[in-house]
Amino acid sequence: MKRKLSDAGDQPPVSTPKRRRTALEQSNGALNSHAPNASPPNGDASHELPPSGRGQSTPKKANGVSATPLQQSGLKTPTHKSKARGLFATPTKPKSATAATPSRVKNADRSARKKSARVLFEQDEDTAWDGSERLAEEILHGDQPDTEKAGQPLAESIEPEGEEDAPEKGVKQPKRRAGRPKGARNKRSPTPDGELPAHERYFFQNRAGPVKTSNATLNKVPLLTHEEYFEKLGQFEDPCKEEKEYLQSLHHRSFPQWAFEFDEGFNICLFGYGSKRKLTDEFAEWIYNHRLSDTANPTIVMVNGYTPGISIRSIFATIVTAVMGDNAPSKLGAQPTEVLELLQAALKSHEEPVTVLINSIDAPPLRRAANQALLARLAATPRIRLLVTADTPNFPVMWDISLRDQLNLVFHDCTTFLPFSAETDVVEEVHALLGRKGRRVGGKDGVGFVLKSLPENARNLYRLLLTELITLLDDGHQSDDEGAAEGGKPGDETGIEFRLLYQKATEEFVASSEMMFRTLLKEFHDHQMITSRMDASGMEILGVPLSRDEMEGVLEDLVLG
Amino acid sequence: MDADGLNDALGLSNDKSQNLGAYIYQPSKHGKSAGERPSKRRKVSSTVDRYEQFDRQRFVPLLNGDEIPKSVQLRHDTYRELWSKQENKIQDILEDVDAGVLTDVLSFVRDTSPQTCDGCIPTALVTVGSNVSSLSRLLSRLNGQLISTEEGSVVVLESGDAPNLKTTLKNIIRAAVTNTDGNDGYQKFLTDRAGPRLLGYDLDLLHDYVQRKGTKKLVLALRDSEAFDPGLLTDLLSLFKSWLDRIPFTVLLGISTSVELFEGRLPRSCVSLLQGKHFEVQEAGNCVDRIYETLQTNPDANLWLGRNVTSTLFENTSDYFQSPEAFSRMVKYAYMSHFFANPLAVLLANPDSTVIAQNKLCEAIRNLPSFRMFCEDLVEEGSTKQVRGMLEDDEYLIQETPKYLEANQQRMRNMFQAVRVVHVCLQYTQSAKKANVSDLSVRALSGELSESPIVEEMVATAKTLDSDKLDELLVRLGGIITNPEADAIQEDLRTLLETCSESGPLCSGYNINSTVTKTTVVQQRIRLSKGQADLSEQAVEYTNIVNRLVALLQVHLTESLINPQDLFLNEAFLFDLRNPLKETFAPRPRFAIERALATPFDYLLSSSDVTMAKVSAKQPATSILYQLYLDSGALVNVHDLWQAFYGVFETEEAGGCDDRVVMSLFYSALSELKAFGVIKNSRKKTDHLAKSAWMGL
Repeated sequence: MKRKLSDAGDQPPVSTPKRRRTALEQSNGALNSHAPNASPPNGDASHELPPSGRGQSTPKKANGVSATPLQQSGLKTPTHKSKARGLFATPTKPKSATAATPSRVKNADRSARKKSARVLFEQDEDTAWDGSERLAEEILHGDQPDTEKAGQPLAESIEPEGEEDAPEKGVKQPKRRAGRPKGARNKRSPTPDGELPAHERYFFQNRAGPVKTSNATLNKVPLLTHEEYFEKLGQFEDPCKEEKEYLQSLHHRSFPQWAFEFDEGFNICLFGYGSKRKLTDEFAEWIYNHRLSDTANPTIVMVNGYTPGISIRSIFATIVTAVMGDNAPSKLGAQPTEVLELLQAALKSHEEPVTVLINSIDAPPLRRAANQALLARLAATPRIRLLVTADTPNFPVMWDISLRDQLNLVFHDCTTFLPFSAETDVVEEVHALLGRKGRRVGGKDGVGFVLKSLPENARNLYRLLLTELITLLDDGHQSDDEGAAEGGKPGDETGIEFRLLYQKATEEFVASSEMMFRTLLKEFHDHQMITSRMDASGMEILGVPLSRDEMEGVLEDLVLG
Repeated sequence: MDADGLNDALGLSNDKSQNLGAYIYQPSKHGKSAGERPSKRRKVSSTVDRYEQFDRQRFVPLLNGDEIPKSVQLRHDTYRELWSKQENKIQDILEDVDAGVLTDVLSFVRDTSPQTCDGCIPTALVTVGSNVSSLSRLLSRLNGQLISTEEGSVVVLESGDAPNLKTTLKNIIRAAVTNTDGNDGYQKFLTDRAGPRLLGYDLDLLHDYVQRKGTKKLVLALRDSEAFDPGLLTDLLSLFKSWLDRIPFTVLLGISTSVELFEGRLPRSCVSLLQGKHFEVQEAGNCVDRIYETLQTNPDANLWLGRNVTSTLFENTSDYFQSPEAFSRMVKYAYMSHFFANPLAVLLANPDSTVIAQNKLCEAIRNLPSFRMFCEDLVEEGSTKQVRGMLEDDEYLIQETPKYLEANQQRMRNMFQAVRVVHVCLQYTQSAKKANVSDLSVRALSGELSESPIVEEMVATAKTLDSDKLDELLVRLGGIITNPEADAIQEDLRTLLETCSESGPLCSGYNINSTVTKTTVVQQRIRLSKGQADLSEQAVEYTNIVNRLVALLQVHLTESLINPQDLFLNEAFLFDLRNPLKETFAPRPRFAIERALATPFDYLLSSSDVTMAKVSAKQPATSILYQLYLDSGALVNVHDLWQAFYGVFETEEAGGCDDRVVMSLFYSALSELKAFGVIKNSRKKTDHLAKSAWMGL
C-alpha cells in the first residue's frame, strides 16, 4: 500500500534548480529551530502550517486533499487553512522555476501528498521499520521540489530501500530524533556478510521487520500456457544430457544388488533429486528379463503414486488381479483392508514373488498417514516385494517406527536429475504458486486435460457446444459489421441459449433428460470450462471462456480423438 | 521437433502408462532401436549361455568381472549357509525373550473369565515401550497356541482398521472368521445361514461363529491402543460388555507409553468396564545385546562384525528405537554386503585350490593392506624367502592362505572369548556401571581393551575378592577358559576352602581390611606407614591363589586381546565398512537433495573438466534456481527471481537464447521447488514467494 508512492515517479521529471533546494533546507531548518508560531521566512514554506507537537497530525489536517476523520480534532479551523493556501500557496507555484505544465506537477504533488497522508494515517507495525513514514512526513512538510526528490529515487524502486534514504539525508537530518536512526539496525541485505552457519542464516533472514524486496510484479511478463510450455521446453537442449545418462547407467549397475535385496526379504526405497520413474521402468524390464524361473512370467505391478485420485484400494485390487488372474472374484469389497486380506489369502498359495513398484510414494494422493499404514501392511506381506521411490526431502517423517518396521526398507540414493514431467503439472503448479488460479483451465490444454477424463457423453456435449458457438461466431462475422470491434474476446460475448443447447443435446442422444443434461453441465462448471449468464430477457446463455482459436483447437482434438 | 523427440526430451514414455494409477507391467513390445539397453541385454545373455546354471542367483562376478562362476556360486552358498545358522540363533533368542511374557499372558487368558473379573471384560495391558515388534510376535504365537488347543483365537486390530464403529465391527468379525476358516470360509459363513441375512457388522454373526466353533476365548488385541479414537474405543468396549454373556471376549491392549497415560485418555465409565492385569515386555536393548553377543562370541563363528559396523549398529538402535528384528536385519545386511561385494569372502567357504587358483584372486590377496603388513613383519623376522614365495608364486600363496586364515580366525575366536572373560569378571568386580558385551567388543575390536582402564581396574578389584565370590567367578570362568592352570587354581581353592570351611570367607592380602596403618614418631614427626597385617596361614595361601589367578588372567588377556586390524586376511573374515550399512538404513534424503541442487556437479561428473563454483547456465535449471533461492531472503519476489534466472542464461549464451525457452525452464524449476516444499505462495505481497526451508538445517 505504501509502495504506491512510487506512482509519483511516473511524472515527467521536473528540473529542480539548486537554489530552490537550498531554500527549502533553509525553511526546514527554520521550521525546526523556530518557535511553532514564528512566521515563515519565505513563500515556499508558506502554505505549511506551523508544526505543533510532533508535527505529524497537523500537516495531515493542513493538507486539505486528504479527508481524514481527524480533520476536526485539530486546532486550526478549515477556513484558516484554505485561506492560507489561497493566499500564499497558489500564487507561489506558477512563479516557481518549473516549466511546462504546472497543473500536472501540482496534481502529482497532490497525489503524492494524498498518499503520504494515508501512509501516516494508516500506520502499522510494518511502516515503523522502513522509511516510508518519514518519507510521507517529508512530502507533507515539504513543497513541490521535495516531492520531486522523493519521487526520483522511488522510480528506481528495485533498489533496496536503504539507498532511497540517501539523497534525502540532507533534508531529514534536522528532523531525526535522538538515538539510532530508524531502521538502521535492521538494514537489510539478503546475503549476510561472511559465511553464516545455516541456523544463523535462518535467524538472520527471519528477524523481525519487513523484508525488503522490490515491487516489481509479473504483470508485464506474459505467462506461459500449457502448449507454449511444452513447445519451448522441447526446443531446449540439455547441456548435461551425457552426464545424466551416465548417472542413470550407474544406477543400472545396482539392479542385481536390488534383486538380491529383494530375495533376502528387504523392500527398497529410492530417494534423491530427480524423477525416478524411468529407473523403475527399466528395473521392471530388468526383472522381467532376469526372471529366475523360465516357466512363469514374473508378476510386476507398477503404481504411479502421483496420479490424482489414486486410491489404495485400486492399487490392492490391481495386485489381486495380477496375482489371481481370471480367478479374481468379481466383487472385491469396498474397504482397502478387505482387498488386502483377500490378497494375503491368495498369496499363501502363490509361489512366485510379486513385485510392486510404486513411483512417488510421498506424492500428495498417497501421503496420508492412513494410506501409508496400509502400504506398510502390504510391504509386510510375505512374497510381496516393494520398491518405492520418494521425491521430497523430508519423506521419512511419513513413517513412525512401527511403520518403518513393517516396511523393512533399505534406502538407496538414486539421484537422476531427470525432470518430473509426468509427476507434476508444471504450468498449473506454477500458476497456483503465483496465485493465478484463474488461469487454471484457461487455454486449450487445460480443457483438453479435463475432457480426457470425462465420459464420452460429456465430451460429445462439449463438442456440440463448441460447434454451436463457432457457427454462431461465423454467422456473426458475416452479418455484423462491428465484428472487428468485438473481436477481442469473442468467447465471452457469444453464447448459446440453454434451452436450445438442451434441445440439440437430446436430438443427438447426448442427454435424455434435463436432469442428466444439467449433471453434465455441472461438471463443466466445476472445471470452469463454461460460463453462464442471464440475458436481458432472463434466458440462460452458455458460453466458453476460450478464444476462438482455442475453441477450434479443442474442437479439432475432440473430433479427431 | 517431432512428438517423439519432445517426449524423449521430457522423459515421457509414449505409452499412456504414466497416467495410469496402477497397472500390471508388460514389457514393451516395440524394442527401442537406440540406446544402450539392447546391447547390454545381449552381453548378459551371452554370459547366460556360457554359465547357465549360475544365472539362477543374483551374485555378480567380481574382480572386474573375471571371477569364475564357481567362486561366485560359492560366495552365495556360503552366505546362505552362514546366515541361516545365525538366523536360527537369533530366532531362538527372540523366542526365549518372549517366552516369559507369553506364558504369563497365555495363563491369564486361560484363567480369567468375566466371572472371575466381577463381570467386567478381562483385559491384559501389555506395555511394549519402544519394542514395537515384540507385540506382533507375541500375538502370533498366542494365536498359534490358542488355535492348536482349539480354545479360541486372537483377532488383531490396528488403529487403521477402525475408522468408525461399523467398519471396526465388520473388520473384527471378518478377521475372526478368516483367521480360522480363510477368506472363502468367511464368504460361505455370510451366505450359508438360515434366516434373514445379517449385515457384516452384526455381532450376532460373531455369536454364531463362536457357538459353531465352541470358542472359549476370543482375544481381541489392539496393537496400537493409543492411536485409537477414545470415543470409538469407549463405544466398542461398552458393546463388548453387553455381549460378554454370549461372546467370551478377552481384550489385549498394546500400550507404548504407560498404563496411567492410557487410562487417563479414557472416560471413567469405560475404564470401569475393564478389569485385568499388566504385563511388561522386555526392552529392546537387552535383547539386542544378547543377539550381538551370541553372533560375535559364538565359538564356531567364521565372520565377525568390525568396530565401525558395531558402533553403527548400536547407534542406530539407540537413536531410532530399533526393534531387535530391525537390528538383526541390519546384521543380515552386513553379511549380505560382505558376501556380495567382497571377492575374498569366497575364502570363508574353505574352497579347494581350483577356486583360489584364480590369477585375479591371488592378485587381490597381494594387494591387501594386511598382506603388506604381514610381509613386512616377515621380512623383519628375516624370512625373506617366504615373502618372495608369497609374492611370486601363486601356488605357494594358495597353499599358505587357508592356513593363515584358519589360524587368524582362531585368534579372533580367542579374542571374543577373552571379551567374555572380561565381561564375566566385571560382573563380580564392578559395582556401579555394568559394561555390556557390545561396549567391550567395540574396544576389543579396535585393539584397545587390553590396555583400557576397565581391565586394569578389574584386575585390581579381582585381587580383593573374598573366597566365596572368587569361587563363583572361577566356576563361571571355567566354562570359558580352557587352561589346565585354571583348573589347578580351582582345585587348590577347593581344597583350601574345605580345610577352613567354618571360618567364613577368606580375604586375600590385597583386601583393605588386611592392611594396617602404623603411626610412628620419628624425629618429632609423625610418620604414617602402611604394612601388611599379620595374615593367617590360610589367608596367605589364599593370597597365593589369588596371585596365580590374576597372573593367569593377565597372561590370557594380553595374549588374546590383539588388534584384529593387524591380522593377515582380516579383510576376509572381518566386515568393517561403515558405509553401506549407515547410508542404507539411516539415509539423509534431505541432504542428498540439497547437495544435488546446490552442487550438481558432485553427481553429474562433468566431461569437460570445468569445476564451476558459480551459478552457470551449464547446470540443471532447478539447481540454478535453487542457488538463487539460497541467496535470497525469507521473502522472494518472483519477478526479480525470474530476472536473475534469465540473467544467468543471458550472460552466457550471447544473443542466442530465447527468453520463452528460459521461461519454460524457470517454470519447471519453480514447480519442482514447490513440490519439494521449499517455497510457498506468500500473501504479504503480490507475486512473492515465502522461503520455507534452510539448507543444512
